[in-house]
Parts: sequence; C-alpha cells; structure tokens
Amino acid sequence: MERRHHSQSHSQRQQRRNHFSSSSSSSSNQSRSNNRFSFPKSSSSSSSSSANDVRDRRRETQEEKQEEAIVGTCPFMCPEAERLQRQRLRDLAVFERLHGDPRNSSPALAVKKFCRTMSAKEVRASDVRPLPVLEETLNYLLSLLDSTEHPFEVIHDFVFDRTRSVRQDLIMQNIVNDKAINMFEKIVKFHVISHHKLRSSCSSSSISPLHYLNLEQLTKALTSLYNLYEANRSSKPIHEKEAEFRSFYVLLHLDSNGQPVGESLSLWFRHVPSPIIKSKEMWFARQALRYFQMGNYRRFLSTVAAEASYLQYCIIEPYIDEVRSLALCCIHNCCYKLHPYPLGHLSKVLMMEESDVELFCNAYGLQTCIDEVGNKLLPTKQTTFCRPKGGLQNYSFLGFQQLGSHMLSSLFYNHFLLVPMKPFSHVDGWN
Amino acid sequence: MAYMSMGEAHRRITDYLNRFSDAVSSQDVVSLKQLLSFSSNSPSLLSLADSLNVFQDANRLIKQSDNYSPFADITVPLFRSLQHYRTGNLVDAYLAFEKSANAFIQEFRNWESAWALEALYVIAYEIRVLAERADRELASNGKSPEKLKAAGSFLMKVFGVLAGKGSKRVGALYLTCQLFKIYFKLGTVHLCRSVIRSIETARIFDFEEFPKRDKVTYMYYTGRLEVFNENFPAADQKLSYALINCNPQSEANIRMILKYLIPVKLSIGILPKDWLLEKYNLVEYSNIVQALRRGDLRLLRHALEEHEDQFLRSGVYLVLEKLELQVYQRLFKKIYIIQKQKDPSKAHQMKLDVIVKALKWLEMDMDVDEPSLWMSRWNV
Repeated sequence: MERRHHSQSHSQRQQRRNHFSSSSSSSSNQSRSNNRFSFPKSSSSSSSSSANDVRDRRRETQEEKQEEAIVGTCPFMCPEAERLQRQRLRDLAVFERLHGDPRNSSPALAVKKFCRTMSAKEVRASDVRPLPVLEETLNYLLSLLDSTEHPFEVIHDFVFDRTRSVRQDLIMQNIVNDKAINMFEKIVKFHVISHHKLRSSCSSSSISPLHYLNLEQLTKALTSLYNLYEANRSSKPIHEKEAEFRSFYVLLHLDSNGQPVGESLSLWFRHVPSPIIKSKEMWFARQALRYFQMGNYRRFLSTVAAEASYLQYCIIEPYIDEVRSLALCCIHNCCYKLHPYPLGHLSKVLMMEESDVELFCNAYGLQTCIDEVGNKLLPTKQTTFCRPKGGLQNYSFLGFQQLGSHMLSSLFYNHFLLVPMKPFSHVDGWN
Repeated sequence: MAYMSMGEAHRRITDYLNRFSDAVSSQDVVSLKQLLSFSSNSPSLLSLADSLNVFQDANRLIKQSDNYSPFADITVPLFRSLQHYRTGNLVDAYLAFEKSANAFIQEFRNWESAWALEALYVIAYEIRVLAERADRELASNGKSPEKLKAAGSFLMKVFGVLAGKGSKRVGALYLTCQLFKIYFKLGTVHLCRSVIRSIETARIFDFEEFPKRDKVTYMYYTGRLEVFNENFPAADQKLSYALINCNPQSEANIRMILKYLIPVKLSIGILPKDWLLEKYNLVEYSNIVQALRRGDLRLLRHALEEHEDQFLRSGVYLVLEKLELQVYQRLFKKIYIIQKQKDPSKAHQMKLDVIVKALKWLEMDMDVDEPSLWMSRWNV
C-alpha cells in the first residue's frame, strides 16, 4: 500500500489545494456562464457545474480544517463494494462483464465509475485508489482504444467516464507531482483523439452531444494540467511536452466568434511563461490563429500541413473544413471565367487528394470538366454553387495518414507525433 | 531610534485611543481615516507602533477603560497589526488587520448613516495592499501566496454589507474597484462577473449616484475586460467614458486608459496623433500607427515582434495582430491610386505582378493567386 510523501510540508499541500480548488471552480464557473449552446442536454452539465461550484466551496472550507488530504487504499481498479453493488444491480458496462454476463464482473475488469455527488468529507479511503493503482487503471483504459469489437462511441463512452473518475481520485488525494502530469497528459490525449474520431462518426452538421461533452472535459482536463505545470514550476521550470499541450488551448480558440470555453485568449496569454511562447509548437498555433483570422486559407492550410503534429491536427480539423469552404468560395467566385481552375492546383491549395477534390466540389453543387489532354478542371462562376446541406464527409489531408484504430494506444507511449505530417517536398515553394 | 520613556509611550497610546473614540462619537471621518491608514506611514502611526513596543500592556489599558473598551474588538487587533507592520512581518500584520477590519464592519453596520464610508474605503484599501505585501513575503519564503485571495473574499463580504437600500450603497463602487484590482492581479478575472452583475443589473444601484472617480475606475476595468473579450464597440464606449471623465491632471491614469483605448480605436480605423503617443509615452504604438498609415506590412510585423512580450502581458497583442488586414487594404488602395493616376482607363484592373512586387519588397513572399483572391473578398 503506498503511503504518500508525508515529508512534504503543510505549505506545499496548501499550495496544491489552492491550485486545484481554483482550477475546478474557475473552469466550472466558466462553463456555466459561457455556455451559449441552447443545447437540450446541457442542463445536466450546467447543473453539474453549479454542483461543482458548491462542492468546491465546501471542499475549500473543509480543506482549511483538514490537515491531511485523503490517502486512498483501494487496491483494485474498482472498490469491491461498488463492484458487488453494480453486479447486483446489473449496472455493468460491456467491458466489465465477465464472459459477457451482465451480472458478473471481476477485479480485472471492473473500473470505478465517476460519481458526481461525492464530497471529500463523505468518502472513505477504501474507495479511493492510490497512485500506482490509478496509473495501472489508466493504462488499462487506454489499451481499450485498440479494441475492434465495439464501435468507437461505445469505447469512448466507457473510457470517458472512467478516466473522469481517475481524475477525481487524483484531485481528491491532491496528487500533483510529475506522475499526475503524465496521467493528465494522457487523458488530454484521449480527449483530443476522441474529438477527432467522434466528429467523423457524426453525420449531421450539428455537433453531437458526445462531441460537445468531450470538448467540455477536454478543456477541464487541460486547465487542470496547466495548473499542475504551474504547481511544479519550482522543481521543473518547463516540462517536456508543455509547449505542445499549451498550444492546444490556442488551437481550441481559433474562432473568436465561436463559443468561448474558458478564458479568452488574450487573457490566457498573459500567464504563459516566455519560453513556452517562443516554442515551435506555440509558434505554429499562433501562426494558425493569425492566418485563420485573416482568412488566408492558403497559408493556413500549408502551415498546418508543414508543422502540425497529429494531436494538433485533430484539434484543428473542424477549422480546416471551414477554411477549405472559404477557399472554394473565393476561387469559384473570383477566378476568371474563361480559365477554369485545374483540380491539380486546387488539390494543393486545399491540401486534399485530387479524387477528394472532385467530391468536395460536387458537394457544393459544382461540376468539373476535362480538357483536351485529360486534366480535370473546375469551371468558375457556376450558378449552381450552394452550401452543402448536412455535414461534410471526411476528406483526406495531404501528408496525414488516418491512424488505424489498432495504432491508437501506441500514441500514449510515444512522445509528440506518431505519424509525421511531413508534406510533399514542393509544398513550400509554390511557383 | 530615540529612547522613549514608558510614560511617553503610555501617553501616545492613550492619545490615539482618545482620538479614536472622539472621532467615532463626533462622526469625524477625516480624523478616523487617518488613524487607520497604515500605508501612509504617517509619523504618528509609526511612533504609535514604537510606543506599543515600549509599553507592552496596551490590551489591558483598552479593556479596563470605559472609554476604550467599546472598541476593543477593533483596536486590540489593530495595535497588534501595527506592531507586526512595523517589524516588517506582513503576513501577521495582514491577519490581525483583517480581524480588526471585521470588527469595524460590524460596528459600521450598526451606524445609521454613511458617515464612516471614507474610513471604510481606507480599510478596504489597506486590506488589499497589506495582502499584496503579505503574499510577496510568503512567496519569498517559498510558501504559497494566498492572502490576496483571502482579501478578495473579505471584501466581497463588505460589498454585501453595502449592497442594500440606504445611503451606504454609494460606497459599493469603490469596493468593486478594489475587488477588480485584486482579481486582475490574481488573474482570476472571471470573478469580476458576479460583481459586475450586482452593479449593473441588480436593481439596487443607480450608476449615476456613484462618485465620479469610482465611475472612471470602474469603466476602465470593465473596458479592459471588453478588450480581452474583443467586444470593441463596448470597449470603446467604456474606455472613452473613462478618458473623458478622468481628471486631466492625472497623466498616469490617462496613460493607463490610452494604453487600452488606442488598440481599440485602431481596430475601428481611428488613428491617434503622434503627439498623443509622445505626450503619454506610448511610443510602442508609434510604428503600428505608421504601418497602418502607409500600408507597410513589414513595419507592422516588426513592431509586433519588437514589443511582443509587452503586448502579450497587457493583453492587446491579438487585437494589434488583427490590424494586418487593414494594413493590406491600405496597401492595395495605395497601389490602386497610383495605377489610376498612371493609366485612368485601366484603373479597374489592378496588375497582379505590381502587387506581388510590392509585397516582395515588403518581405512578404506570396505567389500570384493570393492577393487576387483576397481582394475579391473586399470587393475591390
């Protein structure tokens, strides 16, 4: 049974407490007040936010009275009492069922569920998992991403909930060291990948509930992660992957008119350490922001192709569609009518495979034609141009390989990119 | 330090206590607030601190006298705080002052009129300033700075006392501004929201009733929040209000307002005159203004790079970066004008290679497609 480092002074514990309570209350305040989605399911998230608020305030005053945070003693991924109860109530997820039996699980399969109403005072140490168990739990959960037996939504739903519980256990025990950082980084990665995969599976152009809730947790986990980086600043000035994870915040906020989730960018930049701002990951994010806001689709797409890591691509993907839309609009509306636009060229502008380009044009009500030597062209200023109803399908992005599901879990054991996004060599020097 | 006799120390302490009780009984706020203003470092307060060190039994003195004992809850911790303050022990000074302030609020609540409002302002100010210094002390000792946050909570409580019917409510805006300063310093800017809601949308307050000085400060901070959120019309309105109503003598305050107002005005296409930038030492904006006038993209990029840290810290960088589009527009307009002068018949067709050349000269590498497609978006 692991004992926490009691050699840590009271003031350090106090510091951690402050960082976590402020992060959770600030993020929950933000999601409550900035929640502009008139979204039927959002009532649950906003009420959970106000419950979060109350819980945080209660926790804050309690922590002032408590000297020690809880030290968990549960040796399993799921506390035995919970497992037995859920077995009785047949409340077992598919992954938790022993041989598919909805009434039977095992310590190797059951994972503790996220419990919204848990307060620090009521919880027993035997229900909380210590750090090594949490690490094993997280690794197990992430390994499920490779499963081919179930559709991704099912896997996501399970891992989403169970990782939320892992986060909860970490916060309750005030674990703020390097290992916590490691775990939060992995959890953020999971949410980023889900952000990408859930999008491709949703057919309508409106954002699915799953997608929105995932984005909400992504932002919360990211905020906790940033607080962890800050809390560890004295022992480690800059973490290895901090620049990339900071860049995600910028990429999530490319559209200043869109829904703000968390602090505005201008405010956020104020407390980013200088070495991070000068990092290449942050430079990329800021360039993407600049080109996106200016409507410079050419530079936006080519910079993404040249610089983005896999995770950065996943985050920025929704904006890529928007930018390509803009590009097509501009080219179609402005180019000289007598000179149809070669699809080959369009492919390089849109950073899309040529075969996809044709489909893309068709989705906008545009026809392509062929010239005497067989090149495909897009005649401009067609009168049939229209916005596609429903969402766009997933198009290729040049240089980017879709990760097979069997490769997903390997993402968590690699630094930075797994699949390099190096473009064709001639992308940079257009002539 | 000159030697002080026990008798002298005793005299100064009773002198203070007398002035305190006289001020309260005659509702003399001017005298009262001087007795509370630690940060003024007035000689009388400093010598009072020394006296307390010499005559160590002030507590008994207070509690045993009918004149002084009614305010014991205020003066006992106040004296303790002063002693800590004098010895540079800011954390303990803060804690004791907060205790004293708490007792003061209880009394304040009971007083019918708002006579003591300015003393309350002094207390609010001192709480914030002491908390800031206490946090600096904590940080320098490797501990977690949390007193300013505590001060914020305390002042919210005080705000609650003022938010009601009655003449005391005009003090609420001053409290609000102290809270803004705390939240901005801590970076917990989102906490401003609930206070703003109370001031603006709750039916309790009439904004026009508040003192002008407080209204200016309030508009300055809320204007800055609008800048952070890129609501430029609202930012313009609020910061302009602050500028117009600001005391013309206080150049430092005008400078602070202009620092945020200028990027907002630039965004809506209004350029400040050079003398304004020079007078208020805002020369970091000079090159940006110049770039906008000339359509000089290179100058804009250079100006942004040169002052990147400063602009990022103050939160105006992203606003200024967006000016790039306007600079392009200015550039293309100039090219158009020049071409028109050369060949009026062909004015409606801008030569792309001319544009590309101009851009290349400005160190912006582009191929032929880009500018033409952009210009289409502006209906040039």
